[in-house]
Amino acid sequence: MMILIAINATYFFATLFLDPRSNYRDLRPTRSDEEIGDALALYGLDPRMPAVDRWWSWLSDVILRFDWGHSPTGVPVGSEIPHRALLSGQLILAGVVLSVILGVALGVYTASRQYGIADRVLQTLSVLLYNMPVVVSALGLILLAVWFNQKLGQTVLSVAGAGTPGGVAGGFWPVLLDRANHLVLPTINLTLLGSAGWHLTQRSLLLDNINADYVRTARATGLTRTQAIRRHALRSSTIPTATSIAFTIPAVFTGAVITESVFGWEGMGRYFIQTIIRNDVHGVVAVAAFGAAATAAGAIFADIATAILDPRVRVN
Amino acid sequence: MNEPLLSVRNMYVTFSSEHGPVDAVRGISFDIHAGQTLALVGESGSGKSALAMGIVGLLPPSARVTGEVHLDGQSLLGMSDQQWSGIRGRRVGVVFQESLSALTPTMSLGKQVAAAVRVHTNLSKRLAWDRAVELLDMVGIADPGRRAHEYPHQFSGGMRQRAVIAIAIANAPDLIIADEPTTALDVTVQAQILEVLEQAKAETGAGVLLITHDLGVVAGHADNAVVMYAGRAVEHASVEDLYRSPAMPYTLGLIGSVPDAGAAHRRSLVSIDGEPPSALNRPSGCPFAPRCPLVTDACKDAEPELVPVGAEASAHTVACLRFAEVQGRRPDEVFRNIATVVSGTLSDERVLRVRGLGRTFPITKGEIFRRKVGILHALSDVSFEVRAGETLCIVGESGGGKTTTLLEILRLRPPERGLVEVLGHDLSTTSAHLVKTRLRQSVQLVMQDPQAALDPRLPVFDLIAEPLRAAGYGAHATKVRVLEVSGLVGLPPDGLDRFPISLSGGQRQRVAIARALVTQPRLLVLDEPVSALDVSTRASVLNLLARVKAEFGLAMLIVAHDLAMVRHIADRIAVMYLGHVLEEGPAESFFKSPRHPYTRALLSAVPVADPGRERNRSRVVLTGEQPSAWTPAAGCVFAARCPLRPTLSKEIQQRCHLERPALIDCSDARVACHVA
Repeated sequence: MMILIAINATYFFATLFLDPRSNYRDLRPTRSDEEIGDALALYGLDPRMPAVDRWWSWLSDVILRFDWGHSPTGVPVGSEIPHRALLSGQLILAGVVLSVILGVALGVYTASRQYGIADRVLQTLSVLLYNMPVVVSALGLILLAVWFNQKLGQTVLSVAGAGTPGGVAGGFWPVLLDRANHLVLPTINLTLLGSAGWHLTQRSLLLDNINADYVRTARATGLTRTQAIRRHALRSSTIPTATSIAFTIPAVFTGAVITESVFGWEGMGRYFIQTIIRNDVHGVVAVAAFGAAATAAGAIFADIATAILDPRVRVN
Repeated sequence: MNEPLLSVRNMYVTFSSEHGPVDAVRGISFDIHAGQTLALVGESGSGKSALAMGIVGLLPPSARVTGEVHLDGQSLLGMSDQQWSGIRGRRVGVVFQESLSALTPTMSLGKQVAAAVRVHTNLSKRLAWDRAVELLDMVGIADPGRRAHEYPHQFSGGMRQRAVIAIAIANAPDLIIADEPTTALDVTVQAQILEVLEQAKAETGAGVLLITHDLGVVAGHADNAVVMYAGRAVEHASVEDLYRSPAMPYTLGLIGSVPDAGAAHRRSLVSIDGEPPSALNRPSGCPFAPRCPLVTDACKDAEPELVPVGAEASAHTVACLRFAEVQGRRPDEVFRNIATVVSGTLSDERVLRVRGLGRTFPITKGEIFRRKVGILHALSDVSFEVRAGETLCIVGESGGGKTTTLLEILRLRPPERGLVEVLGHDLSTTSAHLVKTRLRQSVQLVMQDPQAALDPRLPVFDLIAEPLRAAGYGAHATKVRVLEVSGLVGLPPDGLDRFPISLSGGQRQRVAIARALVTQPRLLVLDEPVSALDVSTRASVLNLLARVKAEFGLAMLIVAHDLAMVRHIADRIAVMYLGHVLEEGPAESFFKSPRHPYTRALLSAVPVADPGRERNRSRVVLTGEQPSAWTPAAGCVFAARCPLRPTLSKEIQQRCHLERPALIDCSDARVACHVA
């Protein structure tokens, strides 16, 4: 329900703010408004038609044929989304998984050593990373990689794109290797920045639980402090973390706008920016719809995860 | 005598704080032998919990423990966490208070008990689970095989506490440390839990360290007792000696401040002035000196040492210079500040009248589509009245509908069923305007925990002034009235600028009472007004309530589960069970000749602060707990647990089962029972 409202609202807002005609204005020879309108009418974007009628024909296409429309230049939206989403997924899934693992591990490690040296050093580092703009860290990484490549005299780490332009010859394995190579830098970037946040949240969540009475009860049965924390406090403290992890699932497919731009990946994040720049009403709405669906899925995952971890919310 | 099981010598516990090191425990020594129970008695902040946690090494790392602690000759202090894990659980079991927070919320009970078993044995998971079910059965959890799969929040407080005991005795420890095991439980459940502890002790032959503030519990269940005050032992004696001839004024005052539910007539309560000193600025000399009625200049010079009382070899020791004068005297002879029972003038004005009050809640089920699957009868046909200058106490186990009754009255809205009349206004016909302008001010509430009930970010003056401002008083009138009321409840004059956090528990409750009194109400509703307070400050708050009631002709409606406290303050008493009033009548006859079997069982569960009487009296122990009000029985709601029923003839038993007894007049009381 909310998804439907959100999508349709996006359609009207996009129609209001984006003007597809500007895509044709700069073309030579100059075209009249009539001509532009005729060209756009082909894709259901003719501004001479009332917005409600345009919306209706778009909506019936979506519902009846799952056809999400065309961009002002005639590229079908439906053909753009799947491979871009996959590309974004490739890029971000690894980043999210690694940053969650690293961040939660750091959180648990430092929480059991609260105010120790390791805790303070790691926390300072995380706070720094947490506050660092993605662009800065991404460019920093690229500079490092370029310097590294120059030192070695050959391109060991690729700094742009999802694969070598033109492809690599030699079958499956070289292609996979090439892809993995291109993944390294953006993944490091996402992992570093993402794990800082997970680390800080998990640390404070676990600290709330470490001094709980039931950890003391567990220690009184003869568990050491570390065992008691691992077996009793950890699960309660991961409930909120699991919820937020579930909510990052949509981000996996909607893409990371800045990281994709800096590293030159043609993923969903870049597509979102491009559709706005090109006044592509249908593209923008499709991205929004995709995001809304992914978020809803994330919310359902979050509820399921909470119910699995926390017996108190289970309804009999 | 043989070697003691646990020997503590000159133990200190020091915490570091912003104001430098703070000694929570200062030089305590005692022994516990196998099969014996030693009680540590003290108010909050006396250091008793710090001491217990110090013995098992569960204090935070910032705490420093010095002295000597030996368990069977093995020194316990200075061990690593690794070494400790071999001792805890196997040789020492700990029963914690607050069973809700003491159990892991995300693990089933059976799993938690099994985990405790597996720490020290190499049983397989299956066998450990079987053992856990066995243990749960042993501590009295019905249907343990099924319930072991359930989680802590699905259990009642008493059942959870049983599970905590099961965890503590999972590996048959030699020493059981019970830290306030029955605090916050109903008296009937408290009696059951103490029974389970006794049984666990008998089964394992363990020594027990029982930490409590309840002298009644000590009288019935301990062999020896150490009274702690400000981190020191101030008296150490066998329980018989302690109650027969207390030698320290503090002990005497504590014994005198415990109301006696079983006494033949109402006895005056002793109240100890002031509050325990904070650990940061203890007076030099005897720490009890500022509150002691027998204080002399010598007391303030140096802190007295523990010395033997009477015969040289006596095990009774006390830290008081004037013990010889204390011994043999009654509490009310030593303490001047006696809570005298002021009986105010009773008028015939009925401030509150409740007739046939009923309240139900729907029970819903289902994840997405909630559907109604039943009706919870929280209140059924509740009737009573309170006149001006009269105190009515509602008593009973938790879940009986006491608080729901209060809320129904405080709502000041038309009740779901029945009649509620406040100051002669029938709530179902009174206009919302009149309720807002007049009735709201006339009915005021005092809650159980003042720390939770008072906004921590408002100074005391604003807290008390708030109801006046809501009622539209001017700035000057507000100030005059606040000063008047704060004087009346005995707040220190400089207290008005302070925040609740810097007040003691007793003072905070006085603020809450002042806040309730400030609009000159006619009806004061109190929900467990003293149960969150320390024993020695309870009496003075009860005194205050009795005084304001007499002075202003207030009507008071109090919900309480502490019958001894009720004995001290109530004029009339109503007993509630599963939303029904089972007995209602004057307080005197309630205690002297209780009629309903439930009333008798309740009274019998209250421990008496007198070891002789406590151990020899006959008891009616109720089994089980109050069922839920889901599907109330057609007949008497109490029939399933009634201790009297098995003794009755077949016909009457049948009648109890099928016919709900009405509340009928029975000399001066009203009782709902077929046979009373």
